[in-house]
Amino acid sequence: MTASDYLDLFIKALLLAGIYAAMAVGMTVIYGVMKIVNLAHAGFLMLGAYFAYELYERFHIDPVLGAVLALPAFFLFGIGVHAVLIRWLPKSDTPTLASLLLMFGFWLVLQNLGYLIWGNEESSILMPRTFASLHIGEITIPKVSLIVFGAAVISLIVLQIIFNRSWFGRAMRSLIQNPYAAQIVGVDDRRTSRLSFGLGTAFAGFAGALLSMLYSFNPDFGRPFLLRSFVIIVLGGLESVSGVALGAVVLALLETFSVQVLPASYQPAISFALLVLVLLVMPKGIAGLLQRKRRVA
Amino acid sequence: MPLNRSMRLLLPWLLFALLLALPLTDPSSNTVRLLFTTAVWIISSIAWNLLGGLTGQVSFGFAVFYGLGAYTTALMINSGRNPFFAFLGGMGIAVLASFLVGLPTFRLRGPYFAIATIGVGEATRVIMNNLDITGGASGYRIIERTPFRQLEHYYTAVIVVAIALAVSALVVHSKFGLALRAIKQDQEAAADLGVDPYISKLWVHAIAAGLTGIAGGIYARYHAFIYPGDVFAFPTSISILLMPVIGGIGTVWGPVLGGVIFGMVEETLTVKFPNTHLLLYGLLLILIILFEPDGLVGLLRRLSALIKARRSREDSGSNGTDEVLRRRSRVEGR
Repeated sequence: MTASDYLDLFIKALLLAGIYAAMAVGMTVIYGVMKIVNLAHAGFLMLGAYFAYELYERFHIDPVLGAVLALPAFFLFGIGVHAVLIRWLPKSDTPTLASLLLMFGFWLVLQNLGYLIWGNEESSILMPRTFASLHIGEITIPKVSLIVFGAAVISLIVLQIIFNRSWFGRAMRSLIQNPYAAQIVGVDDRRTSRLSFGLGTAFAGFAGALLSMLYSFNPDFGRPFLLRSFVIIVLGGLESVSGVALGAVVLALLETFSVQVLPASYQPAISFALLVLVLLVMPKGIAGLLQRKRRVA
Repeated sequence: MPLNRSMRLLLPWLLFALLLALPLTDPSSNTVRLLFTTAVWIISSIAWNLLGGLTGQVSFGFAVFYGLGAYTTALMINSGRNPFFAFLGGMGIAVLASFLVGLPTFRLRGPYFAIATIGVGEATRVIMNNLDITGGASGYRIIERTPFRQLEHYYTAVIVVAIALAVSALVVHSKFGLALRAIKQDQEAAADLGVDPYISKLWVHAIAAGLTGIAGGIYARYHAFIYPGDVFAFPTSISILLMPVIGGIGTVWGPVLGGVIFGMVEETLTVKFPNTHLLLYGLLLILIILFEPDGLVGLLRRLSALIKARRSREDSGSNGTDEVLRRRSRVEGR
């Protein structure tokens, strides 16, 4: 391989990392604030993809605009899901099995509703620009990846601003850091939880719509991305957008460069291998890491 | 309790005898197949419950052991070994795999463990899809020299169900089972009392994996053709998880009940709605988590408590309501 090949792969990995970060950040927000491991995230990603697909097929709305429209639509959807399902779960400082199984059941429902509506064949959004690419010297970059990357990065910056500058963002962060202290200083726990779930769902729908431009999809679309999201959370920690971005870059680099060593069909195993590796290096897993952080703070 | 003690002791034996005597009625091969399939599901349901229900470690990766059991059995039968010896081989490999899986993943708690097991399942399926000696994704065929006798398969499955139930009952009522339940309730407290959560989880994982491996082997021998998209598939893991949750996790009979319902419904639903039968289970799962975390067994208990309360109210008055309140608070306290 020549140097430009490496550069090519490196750029591809970075572009992939953008969408990975946007995809994982929704799960992170929900986990951080509510301590719920949102397995239905995979279902939200899938719905996001079909959301963009339907808008494109029926109304010829550009998927990029579709992804932006997915934000408010999925925000409301998330609020609804929270009102119908999540609200009834007992509150807890640690993730409970009840919440895990509940979200898993909801994922099954979403996935199979997807099968009912769209069948099990692969769909994809094909546009003139799908196969267009940009040539810079010896490097070629698919235009779609570039657009998706841009959209993902902008959304992450907006999220970071919300986190740092708004009352709601600070309320979320305070709940992530210490739910009791947050409530003592007047953070409305219920309202913030509801809005965070909406926000997490909105990002999942947004990321799903972006992914629909890159890959073909079926109602089982979200599953491989669920594990990736989780690996990114494990790698990057729970409390910041930049951590998630870092985790996404590591995973994307590994996935992209592993093709040099391993057959491409083994690629789905990479995220798991990475997970195991991280666990062996940090034997106590996330809990241990968090405790260490807390002790330092 | 709905049944008095002697009935509770007798009932499993009656059921077992009934299932063994069933072929005397000369059932159709479809009925036997249905019962066989249900029995195989029940074995893995009981196995999952030991780890998921009793110990509180939800695994989405039991298809790994099911599939490894199936493939090991298939390879051993094809190399001329006795099928029953091959089942034991399947069990052995599944147990070995359980340690391989458990050593890293049990460093994680609760939901983290659960998600990691999704990864284990995916990774294993990918590897099996690319493994040459088993034909990769296109599957593997078992060739047996002896003619196919359906009832032999049926009896094997029923007897293994009985063994699995016995193992499950032994674990539940042993000191080890007590330790597992302590881990489920509060891992730190259990560790303070001298239980090693990590080692205990590894062992119960091994027992559960072994049983699931046998189930996979029995399945493989019956179908004579297996492929990773079936035995290693994520939906297989889901099915193994759903049965005990629907039936009632942590109880001895819950997984059996769940397995019976799942096996029966699955056969009819999969044919009519190949893609959407899981929709029903998803809804059921949501309802169970929100309203009756102890599953169908919990529901039955609650009903029988209500009936008892009504009866004793008719007899004497206030005693019965106390009983209901006590029971309800116990159920909700979980």
